[in-house]
Amino acid sequence: MSSDSEQTTVTVAPNGVKRREFLKVLGVSTAATTMLGCASEKVEKLIPYLVSPDETVPGVSTYYATTCRECSAGCGVIAETRDGRTIKLEGNPDHPLNRGALCARGQAALQGLYNPDRYRGPMARKNGKLERVSWDEALQIFAQKLGETRSRGGAGNAVFINQHESGSFPGFLDAWLAGFGMPAHLSYDAGADHAVIAANRQSYGVAWPKLDFRAARLVVSIGADFLDTWGAMVPQQLDFADARANHETAPRFIYVGPRRSLTGLNADQWIDCRPGSEMAIVRMLAGQMPVDGAAQATGVSAATLDAFAREFAATTPSIVVAGGGGADGLEVALAANALNQSKGNVGSTIKPGEGYLGFDRMASPAELRSLVARMNAGGVSLLMVRGANPAFTLPKASGFAQAMAKVPFKVSFSSYPDETTEAADLILPDHHSLEQWGDAEPVRGTISLQQPAMDPVFDTRATSDVLISVAQKDPASAARYPNPDYRTWLINRFPGGATALNAALPRGVAAGSLNEPTTARPVPAVQAGAPIAQSSGNMYLVLYPHPFIGDGRGANKPWLQEIPDPVTKICWQTVAEMHPATAESMGLANGDLVDIKTAAGSLTLPVLRYPGMQRETIAIATGRGHTNSGRYAKSGFNPLEILPAAEDRAGGIAFVSTKANVTKAGGYAHIVTTEGSARQHGRGIARAIAIADLKADRPGYDSGNAHGSEIAQQGGPETPRGEQHEGAAAHGEEMPGDAPHEFLPGLRSPVANDAQGEQGDQRSNHKGMYDPNHWSGMGKRRWAMTIDLSRCTGCAACVSACYAENNIPTVGADWQVPQILPDRTGFGANILRSREMAWIRIERYYEGGEDGSANFDARFVPMMCQHCGNAPCEPVCPVYATYHAPDGLNVQVYNRCVGTRYCSNNCPYKVRYFNWFGYGEPARPQYAFPEPLNWQLNPDVTVRGKGVMEKCSFCVQRIREAENLATLEKRPLKPDEFTTACAASCPSRAIVFGDAADDNWSVTQLAKDARAYHVFEELNTYTAVVYLKKVNHPAPVPAGRA
Amino acid sequence: MAIASRPLPPRDEPRRPNLARADIQLPAVRDYEQVDREIVGTLRPTLYWFIGLGVAVFFLLIGISAWMYQIYTGLGVAGYNPPVMWGVYIITFVFWIGIGHAGTLISAILYLFRAGFRTTIYRCAEAMTVFAVMTAALFPILHLGRPWKFFWLIPYPNWRYIWPQFKSPLVWDVFAILTYFTISSTFLFIGLIPDIAVLRDRENISPIRKRVFSVLSLGWRNTDSEWRHFARAYLFLAAFSTPLVLSVHSVVSFDFAMALTPGWHTTIFPPYFVAGAIFSGMGMVFTIIIPLRKWFGLRHYVTINHLDAAAKLCLFTSLVVGCAYMSEWFVAWYSGNEAEQQFFANRIWGQWWWASAILYTCNMVLPLTLFVQKLRRSAAWLFIISFTINIGMWFERFVIVVPSLSHEFEPWQWTSYRPTWVDYAILCGSFGWFSMWFMLFIKQLPVIAIAEVKEIVPPKLKTAHAHGVDPSGRHFEFEPDTPGEFA
Repeated sequence: MSSDSEQTTVTVAPNGVKRREFLKVLGVSTAATTMLGCASEKVEKLIPYLVSPDETVPGVSTYYATTCRECSAGCGVIAETRDGRTIKLEGNPDHPLNRGALCARGQAALQGLYNPDRYRGPMARKNGKLERVSWDEALQIFAQKLGETRSRGGAGNAVFINQHESGSFPGFLDAWLAGFGMPAHLSYDAGADHAVIAANRQSYGVAWPKLDFRAARLVVSIGADFLDTWGAMVPQQLDFADARANHETAPRFIYVGPRRSLTGLNADQWIDCRPGSEMAIVRMLAGQMPVDGAAQATGVSAATLDAFAREFAATTPSIVVAGGGGADGLEVALAANALNQSKGNVGSTIKPGEGYLGFDRMASPAELRSLVARMNAGGVSLLMVRGANPAFTLPKASGFAQAMAKVPFKVSFSSYPDETTEAADLILPDHHSLEQWGDAEPVRGTISLQQPAMDPVFDTRATSDVLISVAQKDPASAARYPNPDYRTWLINRFPGGATALNAALPRGVAAGSLNEPTTARPVPAVQAGAPIAQSSGNMYLVLYPHPFIGDGRGANKPWLQEIPDPVTKICWQTVAEMHPATAESMGLANGDLVDIKTAAGSLTLPVLRYPGMQRETIAIATGRGHTNSGRYAKSGFNPLEILPAAEDRAGGIAFVSTKANVTKAGGYAHIVTTEGSARQHGRGIARAIAIADLKADRPGYDSGNAHGSEIAQQGGPETPRGEQHEGAAAHGEEMPGDAPHEFLPGLRSPVANDAQGEQGDQRSNHKGMYDPNHWSGMGKRRWAMTIDLSRCTGCAACVSACYAENNIPTVGADWQVPQILPDRTGFGANILRSREMAWIRIERYYEGGEDGSANFDARFVPMMCQHCGNAPCEPVCPVYATYHAPDGLNVQVYNRCVGTRYCSNNCPYKVRYFNWFGYGEPARPQYAFPEPLNWQLNPDVTVRGKGVMEKCSFCVQRIREAENLATLEKRPLKPDEFTTACAASCPSRAIVFGDAADDNWSVTQLAKDARAYHVFEELNTYTAVVYLKKVNHPAPVPAGRA
Repeated sequence: MAIASRPLPPRDEPRRPNLARADIQLPAVRDYEQVDREIVGTLRPTLYWFIGLGVAVFFLLIGISAWMYQIYTGLGVAGYNPPVMWGVYIITFVFWIGIGHAGTLISAILYLFRAGFRTTIYRCAEAMTVFAVMTAALFPILHLGRPWKFFWLIPYPNWRYIWPQFKSPLVWDVFAILTYFTISSTFLFIGLIPDIAVLRDRENISPIRKRVFSVLSLGWRNTDSEWRHFARAYLFLAAFSTPLVLSVHSVVSFDFAMALTPGWHTTIFPPYFVAGAIFSGMGMVFTIIIPLRKWFGLRHYVTINHLDAAAKLCLFTSLVVGCAYMSEWFVAWYSGNEAEQQFFANRIWGQWWWASAILYTCNMVLPLTLFVQKLRRSAAWLFIISFTINIGMWFERFVIVVPSLSHEFEPWQWTSYRPTWVDYAILCGSFGWFSMWFMLFIKQLPVIAIAEVKEIVPPKLKTAHAHGVDPSGRHFEFEPDTPGEFA
């Protein structure tokens, strides 16, 4: 190059162009033309901002504190926005509710924001079809209909159903409705446990008290899934994990219920009572029922119940929570609350004063059901729905969708297609919560602020602003709306006004209160369900909300479809869960179809054998099986179609209210699961230690397989036959034949120290950046992670955070299969071939219970790239696409990868994922980010191409960002200055990341814990991930029987 | 060249130690003219040959189409089921590489061991080797996620100073395959030189063909000095190829043995793979030579004695392979390594029991029938056995690759595997590719080494010199066959 340019300078002559130069120019321009001519891609222009908006620096993120609206709780989130697009949500550390954590549903709010099926703008029904209209036209139609309704005297019969939320908006909405002479709105949350809310109001005076697990010594949950969807999941999980991690005072946890949910799997003991017999347990605990009677009613052995009753009586303080959606839910919840009161738990472990306000003012499904009757009778003049989807979330038997057709005019403010909105006559799509202003009051005395993190993706408008603009044009209401928009309205209302609000916005929370304490809404006459035992059928039917998809809200978010259910590990599919022994007696293998018939209808589903089922029970998750909610939501079936419309006495839907006739249907459907074998086979992957051993500093029992023969179910759908009947011998942590050895931290092992491996020449002075004294300092570091299994609940928030942070494609949609003669079709087809791409997965292993008893232990192991110091993947890659970085990272170079996949074959942890298709190429059917889902992609992370390997990078982009920031600020990295996406979101605080070579980082201290171990340590991989054993709390040995 | 070129020596002459019975008898071949006529006569294309070639090309086209589809859409169209990251392509790669080994064994090692029965089958086997390696070499490229970047595995000088990872067995594979292809094709070509000269010197040959053969025969004039040089070169190449027979498949076995994976991580793999390779190659030799000798009317060249001797070799390698299988079981049990034990239990009784059953039946049980002389001397039975050997050896590689990967350390990631139509199409395509080359070969070049056969055919007696004299001074009835005989 340089010689060329010198030549050029020499040949430039004053008297015009020389021949040689002319040829050069000719050559260059020809080449340039040719290359441009060859370019197949459209030429696009990158134009920088001429005048850059405030706070926008290209390539640098801006963070906005706002409030999550994915469930009723109202957690605080921080939205990371890059170049005007929100790319990641993190929990707000200053928020009293979630304290920096964020659950999977919260993470997936982004896929709601960028949902490809969102309405692009307002729509109106013309000649029976929904068509795009302008906002002016839409608002005019809306105003006209409002006017008509009022002028005909039908205003009193108008109904507004709003997705339940706390904060100022409900009050604002009611005032607006009142201005038009309409009744107050119905605040609807199909996923909430209305019986418990009613019982809490009655017993404690608040809708949802804070549960202080730290103060308790025994936690008894009677079907209350406080780690799944029951109440404010994130703060409950934070408190629970904190309580359990403090081993000195950790409470024992007993779960009672017909199905072992995620909460149940985190319990130390599971009592598998019959559905509908929970009351017998509570009465037994209260001493109102003899143990034998309770045993008779519940189907649990008297000895177990006796021990349970004694332990409960002997342990204070405790927590008793009840839930589970039975027809007698209110009575059970009241009785459980009475137990708490009699044991003196209220105030010590149950704190009504610090309760969550997110569940106040909720309308019960009974109100909607009574609305159905009114609609059918023609008593509703105008129906307005915002966010809620009663046509889907109410049992089909209640007939909401049919009744809707009788309403003269229906307005939906939903931003997404759903079953209710598709029946509407006018759609005025709302902003996503990340695009609009608002507030919430999650706990008394704290205002959680909601602000837009970016400009709207589509031509939507905030419903609050729509209401204001309609009211301003209405002579009767205009005077009450002097403010141009809802934001101004909020500012005026905010204590301290604009100045205070601006000061509070960066933190996202402010002290103060917006609402008066509310009282319970009156419950209309309920259609109470009959006791379940009186219905006919051969099995009890249990419906439960899916932990991610919930009542169906998350169904069109591919992350939530793709991340396997924490319990069943099913994705993209609806299955009927059955106890293995029951399935065996009916001749059903995994995937065999069964007909499930109830009074309301029948459904054909594949069977999944799940040992956490009461033997007479069949369970189905709700939320899937949408007909009209977008492309991803079509997967699965909706079990609400076969649920009779019964209610508990608080007006909530009785999800466990009927028996069903279950018969073998013939036929087979592949089970879409990510589970291989659910047993460890003695490999010491998920280890545990009993609390007594931990306290006594004994090595304790452990690891792998407890003994005896396994029940046939355990594996996934295609469990190798040999595994099923094999009785592995008992053994300890070491592989047989190993010399007993001390735990090797491995984080600073000789191998890790010298990334060249054992072959590296110790005397060499030319180690380059691997030299600890190299100026870059990289060789001094060893990035590492600890995962505390005594904290981990298996909720999979980390998985969703990883999907969001690392641009991981979802692969389970039915159009992502090969186009020519695919041998597997339908939703989850790629996952049937185990092609899911999740860089971190939660393995759920069972220990014990091989005889099919309820007495088994579930262990959750988050598994990601272990960043081995002596990595098996590195030497086998022929092209150095994976190599060892000086700071201990095992690095994957996508550009260099040719796709031999040898690295994956040689990885004992199986944490490498291959791009079988061009998931990142828009022109392909396998494209995982259809516009505008691709707006969410993290610009710091490559979207991987077809045919390359990928894996967990320990969020290398965050490491480098922090390092660069420190360099720019001319300071060393501060301990715990940053963390990975999974660790940041973890609502159990189980994952800790940092520099294990520096004692000041928390990870270094945690790795020294007595419970620390490496997975497959015997392979000498020197991993950088340290697991801390789960701590088990076995039942105390009763005095006198030892 | 051919060693045994005389009738039985007189009783009092010390016997050459490793002279097989079969090697001295081509009783139906009388003279050089007959050899030329009959072997060169096979080169005339027939209708059936055109049909055969058409079928081969058809299968090849199926394979090519499937590959193009796979390149365009991504490897996902094949049946991979992570963590089973290798599947039919790697199985078939090892299968073809293994097939190649018999050819080199027959042409090089048996040459050094002076096993005379190789004379009539070695050309065929050697061509099979070259084409099998050409087929096998496609698969490592074919199975790449980004096949257009395959040259990154080759250490070529580049501006960025990036070299391959020399610790990786896959890089060793590149060298092994390229070396093997170079040597075996050279060996095939050198052996062909005198035969090409024969073809060149035919009458009624087209001028183009004559020109090509002239170039290829390197101006061979059948002089004594040419024969001397030729024989030395042949001997040298045979000695050079011999270690390759052992090393190439050892390197291929390192692809597995160097990994941690249970079922792969074992030191027995190199000898086990070499024995298996020779075994499978012998099977393929039978599959090819038995129909050829029938269709080309060459049964009096490739006699039943030759087949009998080759069958003994086949039986021997089957026993070696069987021994290796049993050592694997023993070591798995004796190691006390749980992962290894569970893997072997799964291999035999688990979801892959049928594949193991095919493997053990075809490779250990059925070849035992070759202990029976009657069956060994039955071309029909050998043809059947050759098919079961081919199937069994393909399944041996299947059992090594798939069950190991589907049943590794991490039980959560235990999976299954099922190939798709793309896998099968490319497998068929590989047979089409191999057969196409072989079809073209048998009508262009002699499938039986003319020059070597001539060495063992008694020459016409010459009146001027009625008998030969051996070094001890004894007289022979016939003229000794000096050319090529270990000059």
